[in-house]
Amino acid sequence: MNLIETKNLSFDYIRRDEEGNVEGITRAVDDVSLSVKQGDFIAILGHNGSGKSTLAKHINAILYPTEGSVFVDGKDTKNEEEIWNIRQNAGMVFQNPDNQIIGQVVEEDVGFGPENLGVPTKEIWERVEESLKAVGMYEYRKHSPNKLSGGQKQRVSIAGVIAMHPKCIVLDEPTAMLDPNGRKEVIRAARALNDVENVTIILITHYMEEVIFADKVYVMDKGQIVMQGTPREVFSKVEELKSLRLDVPQVTLLAYELQKRGLQLPNGILTTDELVQALKHVKIRG
Amino acid sequence: MLRDITLGQYYQTDSVIHRLDPRVKLTATLCYIISLFVVKNIWGYLLAALFLAGVIKLSNVPFKFMVKGMRAIVFLLLLTVVFNLFLTPGDPLISIWKITITKQGFQTASMMAVRLVFLIIGSSVMTLTTTPNNLTDGMESMMNPLKKLKVPVHEVAMMMSIALRFIPILMEETDKIMKAQIARGADFESGNIIKKVKSLVPLLVPLFISAFRRANDLAMAMEARCYQGGEHRTKMKPLVYKRRDRISYAVIAGYLAICIVVGRIL
Amino acid sequence: MSLLLNHIYYSYGEDTTLRVDALKDINLKIEDGEFIGLIGHTGSGKSTLVQHLNGLLKATKGDLLVDGRDIYEKDYPLKELRSKVGLVFQYPEHQLFEATVFADVCFGPKNLGLPQKEVELRAYQALKQVGLEDEFFYQSPFELSGGQKRRVAIAGVLAMRPQVLILDEPTAGLDPKGRDEILGQVKKLHDESNITIILVSHSMEDVANYVGRIVVMDHGSILYDDTPKKVFTHYQELEKVGLAAPQVTYIMHKLQDEGFPVRTDATTIGEAADEILRVIQ
Repeated sequence: MNLIETKNLSFDYIRRDEEGNVEGITRAVDDVSLSVKQGDFIAILGHNGSGKSTLAKHINAILYPTEGSVFVDGKDTKNEEEIWNIRQNAGMVFQNPDNQIIGQVVEEDVGFGPENLGVPTKEIWERVEESLKAVGMYEYRKHSPNKLSGGQKQRVSIAGVIAMHPKCIVLDEPTAMLDPNGRKEVIRAARALNDVENVTIILITHYMEEVIFADKVYVMDKGQIVMQGTPREVFSKVEELKSLRLDVPQVTLLAYELQKRGLQLPNGILTTDELVQALKHVKIRG
Repeated sequence: MLRDITLGQYYQTDSVIHRLDPRVKLTATLCYIISLFVVKNIWGYLLAALFLAGVIKLSNVPFKFMVKGMRAIVFLLLLTVVFNLFLTPGDPLISIWKITITKQGFQTASMMAVRLVFLIIGSSVMTLTTTPNNLTDGMESMMNPLKKLKVPVHEVAMMMSIALRFIPILMEETDKIMKAQIARGADFESGNIIKKVKSLVPLLVPLFISAFRRANDLAMAMEARCYQGGEHRTKMKPLVYKRRDRISYAVIAGYLAICIVVGRIL
Repeated sequence: MSLLLNHIYYSYGEDTTLRVDALKDINLKIEDGEFIGLIGHTGSGKSTLVQHLNGLLKATKGDLLVDGRDIYEKDYPLKELRSKVGLVFQYPEHQLFEATVFADVCFGPKNLGLPQKEVELRAYQALKQVGLEDEFFYQSPFELSGGQKRRVAIAGVLAMRPQVLILDEPTAGLDPKGRDEILGQVKKLHDESNITIILVSHSMEDVANYVGRIVVMDHGSILYDDTPKKVFTHYQELEKVGLAAPQVTYIMHKLQDEGFPVRTDATTIGEAADEILRVIQ
């Protein structure tokens, strides 16, 4: 049984004029079928406007499919009775760190989700403590969110989601507004949750270096999934990625450049070490 | 200038006053304000001053912070004093040219000034020692009976709490947009009233758009975290009266009683 | 137009207990036509520094000379300075407010008190400079895509015809293609009109390909001020202050450690490839 399953999911944004007449229809997600297993780390890549965020919002039942269906833990998101159940099971972290923190003290914000679920007071405190510890923000529990850095705020948001004990967390471009340090912090926290707590992670991003640890990468363009595979498989297609307005890590690009100039290197090199080892090999042979 | 308003700003430290139940602090503030209007003589005001000084001492908040809050109402204070001083009829005290200051005027003016200052400082003690969240919790709990009259108490409290959280963010944003427009040659200072109001458009439009965007994002984030209004909700920090709260209620009641006796009868 | 910063200090909340020293003893000389990358992590003081360059913030201590004249003089025309030193803030699309793209870009030159004809000419040219097609000119700026909005906002500053253009994190939140487009446009602007450009960023990789000089800031002070190649030789120190040299730098150093006789100062993919091939063949 897959934790998340979308079947031929399509979604239309309908623009209306002042009288409510349909002005235009934009297909944001177009016939997407994918499945995610419990404990997976999935990355969805795509440029701005490729439909990746729209897809993400379906998993949390914020948006409903125009056509097709989405199942979270076996439950159809169209089923209104299950909506709170689905939202609890599939937590969501958004892009702007300022616009998703509700509490004025870190711990109160983390407690917001469990409060909504009707968790008893004593257990809320336990959950808040464990969640803040899981993202390394426990020592900031009494701080005002306004005084934290972007990366710290996003970790608080992640803690706020974990405290609801979801099976899966969807991170919708959580690092787009952060500096390199903040980005590292957030990705590290997400990976730790996946490794240690076995929480399923769906990371939506356009930073390629964040996805090299993923189990599987989906690349979206014009609402469709146009590439999928392990990071290595995806990154070996440098030209294709470039045509999709995406970047490739510099080391992969360098390996690709060297390949083009005649060196025999393996495809899809992802790390500096891999490149150095491969070059050693070439040297001996040449 | 906006940054100078300490009213509604929490001062983080630990003290008996900080730990008190917000309902106690709300009641106490209300009682204190009543006491200011009950007392009629100098002894009463002295008592009010002593009480306030004692609470401030217990709160561990530097007095400087309370005074800072006063800056925002200096104008109001001056206005009150000037009006009362010059416009109260009675026995002339000093008379210069056409302006006369009466004895009664002097008395009312000083009384009003003292009342206003005590009132502001008294309520700042509450806001400085209570987190805004705690405060809204307290209000929500105290207004609970109104729920029966279909007043959306929880929703109002939630809105207040969110507003308080976003005030610093929007203030920072205002500052930033203002700077950005000044960098494009905008002038927010010179010109007459009409020109000044017009010059605010490049500031207000982006600010509103941003506020709406934030509101939209926040609503989505709240829904994603299963927020569905006040029903079925539990509290992370439920309000429970402790011994110190009961003692405080007694102290407040005592203070009010003495005020009535001392301030009116003596 | 030359800018000279002489022992500049700046503190937020002076005279309070919450005083923060945002800039400490900044000395900097910026010459005509330079293309500079100002790098530092969040809170390093880089945004505070650039707000001094057009007089939005006034140094607590020190002098700032523009073409030899002290801008802290009593009668210094700050408004004129702001038109000559254009500052594009982070997420500049958040300042758009007019009903049409064109009207918004006109805002800057109009504030300079220019005749209507001149205002419109400048707005038109600025929009062309950022590569926005005519069809968008009379649309609402709020209907454009993120990258387009940002270009409109940059045009809004360019229309004032600044001699120095400062861009604070112009690529924040854009996807890679949007980022390359904006940076490419800025470079073109520099090459064609020879204005001084200061690019504020926290990403070395972004600026390494474009700028001729990198100024690294940390904790309100200038840590390095040199050509990219020279700055990246300090890649280990950069890491300590929360910055990273381009990945290429790391690769070259690693290769050297592993016994390849490569030079380590390559900053772009092309240079790195040349160097590796030189050694291997």
